[in-house]
Amino acid sequence: MAPIIRTEKLRKVYAVGKERVVALNDVDIAIEKGEFCCIVGQSGSGKSTLLNQLAGLEKPTRGKVFIGQHEISGMDETQLAHFRQAHLGFIFQSYNLLPSMTAAENVALPLMFKGVPAKQRLALARKELKNMGLGGRANHLPTEMSGGQQQRVGIARAFVGRPKVIFADEPTGNLDSVTSKQVLYRMLELSKQESITFVMVTHEPSLAACADRIITILDGRVQSNILQPEAEKEANRKALFASIEGNLEIGGAAARAS
Amino acid sequence: MKISDQVALAAKNLSRRKGRTALTVIGVVVGTCAVIVMISLGIAQNKAYDEMLQSWGDLTQIQVYGGNMGMAVSIGGVTTSSSSSEQPAKLDDALIKVFRSMDHVVAATPYYEGYNLQGRVSAGMNERYQTSGLYNLYGIDPAAMEPMGFTLTDGTWLSDSATYPKDTLPVLVGPYTGYNFEDTRRSPSSSKRYRFQGMTDANGNELPPFVDVNKDDMTLTLSNGDADNPKEMTWKLQVVGTMAMDEKNYWTQGGIVLRLKDMKMLMKESADLLNTKYDDNAEYQNVYVKVDEIENVDAVNEAIKEYGLSTYSMSDTRKEMQKQVARNQMMLGGLAAISLFVAALNIANTMTMAIYERTREIGVMKVLGCELKNIRQMFLIESGFIGFIGGVAGALLSWLVSLVLNNLMLLAGLLMGLLQSLGIQANLDLSFLMNGGMTSSGTMSEIPPWLILAALAFATGIGILSGIAPANRAVKISALEAIRHE
Repeated sequence: MAPIIRTEKLRKVYAVGKERVVALNDVDIAIEKGEFCCIVGQSGSGKSTLLNQLAGLEKPTRGKVFIGQHEISGMDETQLAHFRQAHLGFIFQSYNLLPSMTAAENVALPLMFKGVPAKQRLALARKELKNMGLGGRANHLPTEMSGGQQQRVGIARAFVGRPKVIFADEPTGNLDSVTSKQVLYRMLELSKQESITFVMVTHEPSLAACADRIITILDGRVQSNILQPEAEKEANRKALFASIEGNLEIGGAAARAS
Repeated sequence: MKISDQVALAAKNLSRRKGRTALTVIGVVVGTCAVIVMISLGIAQNKAYDEMLQSWGDLTQIQVYGGNMGMAVSIGGVTTSSSSSEQPAKLDDALIKVFRSMDHVVAATPYYEGYNLQGRVSAGMNERYQTSGLYNLYGIDPAAMEPMGFTLTDGTWLSDSATYPKDTLPVLVGPYTGYNFEDTRRSPSSSKRYRFQGMTDANGNELPPFVDVNKDDMTLTLSNGDADNPKEMTWKLQVVGTMAMDEKNYWTQGGIVLRLKDMKMLMKESADLLNTKYDDNAEYQNVYVKVDEIENVDAVNEAIKEYGLSTYSMSDTRKEMQKQVARNQMMLGGLAAISLFVAALNIANTMTMAIYERTREIGVMKVLGCELKNIRQMFLIESGFIGFIGGVAGALLSWLVSLVLNNLMLLAGLLMGLLQSLGIQANLDLSFLMNGGMTSSGTMSEIPPWLILAALAFATGIGILSGIAPANRAVKISALEAIRHE
């Protein structure tokens, strides 16, 4: 089966003053459809830069990025916008909910850009929020919610359009460990349920250990690209989620968080 | 992305920062109001001038003077005479026919005055009441009367085809024709010999003229003016209609209007009585040409001038006045435009600020798949909104200002009353406001609906225009802004 995400000799060079910093150096990776993939590495390793290239947020200096059959590294802004509407979702570290909009409106945002009528998209958004255990928060503004709740709104926003691929940039970076685990559980569960390919950047090895594939970046190069054996992965997941087992009920998590 | 969503989002973003939006809108309000009021002053002034001219004469009427008759007319206007050195064309029936065939000409008629004629019109027992001379006799082409815009209060128009007994002349009279008659039994130095319009007796009752032109028999007498060997001819006058009061053509008020052919017949008989030769093909002194619309008066005027004839029309004066108003308007409008320009800078500034503040949001929207054109449109709608709201409020304000200006006298009166009731002696002189622009109707400022619509469109347009540069800046914001961590 052809990989859904593929890079060819991906290279990104930043000019910092007069110096040139090589952030990515000839990166060749492939991620299969439906995989939950974690990109790990120390800060400054280039893992975020790799995610930006994969999601088309910036253009590589050299090399190519393919998502499915499409070479997104060659698209112009308009093509990219259409491609994002149709196939991509994104989860941010700092949630990035629009402060003037309610939770439901925020979740419905990608559908609005797609041109889905208000009634329809808000109904979908509410359903998605309910899925995330935030059914009662649909009309709340981001400022009225905790960090964990905001990130769950962000996850709902990424999933609402049922994209092919979701990118997440340190989605648990601003959350405490319990909430981090809950959020990861949600993402894992939903992406498996909907067989959505998930690419997440994290620097927490314990979270990354639950992924199907772990790509380790060091100094702009792929240090290792491991497809975890099924048994090992299951054990890691069990170990991670055991401590929050009682909190995994959707309603329970929501009640506690509020 | 749907346009309705873009509008909703723009409105939401505006209401998010109410204070700043309000301040920016106020700038537009002031600018729009200034422009509307300035233009409204000009419109009112033009209208006042038109009313003034209208009271002086018919704006769609051109007077053409015969070659040797070109004379200065001093009713508030200029007589334009042809500067061409060539011999002016002969102003005769043939040329009038040419005038009639011109585009936009509704009617053309000679205006044939009877001041060459000697004689009188008389009425009453033994010709007791007489006119002194035949100055009030006018010969007009009957077919032209109605198209020229004259109206009747009574009776019918004259007709060339109607036949009358040989000693009878059909005539039209005006509302004041009766006042031409004098009582010949009184001495010329006695005030009782004359009656004029508006004259009252000791008790203040209005005195009617000596002759009721609609009832009393009137006789027209031509004489040779020779006291030793008097020769006279007489006709009975039959009044077929009474013309309506018309301030613009004084001759229709007190005149006796004959058919042109009857007038010519009288000229010929008069010449015979005086043993002089009458040239039927003679030039007319004065021809009236009626044009369909004010806008076409110039063209017709120029065409007539081609014949080397002098003309006069109110539209010449009107043009001068309008030029003057346009000059004033340009100056005032320019000042107003400056305030609108400042408002535009204000909008651009506000939008730039907003975009700086929302850099991250714009990045997020891009990452979530918002198209560039939608981002641009959203900001343009936002700045257009500011312009539009300012335009609406500015229009309302200008309406208020206009109301105050138009009732300045009333308000000043109220103010003075108030001051006096407080024991303050106030003397406010507003007469300086009365010159030029104001007429009896007293409107200093007039705001027609098109001006409101134009101002709204203009204000919105300015809003959108000043939003272009900031919107382009928003479009250039990188999607990476969304993941930048502070």
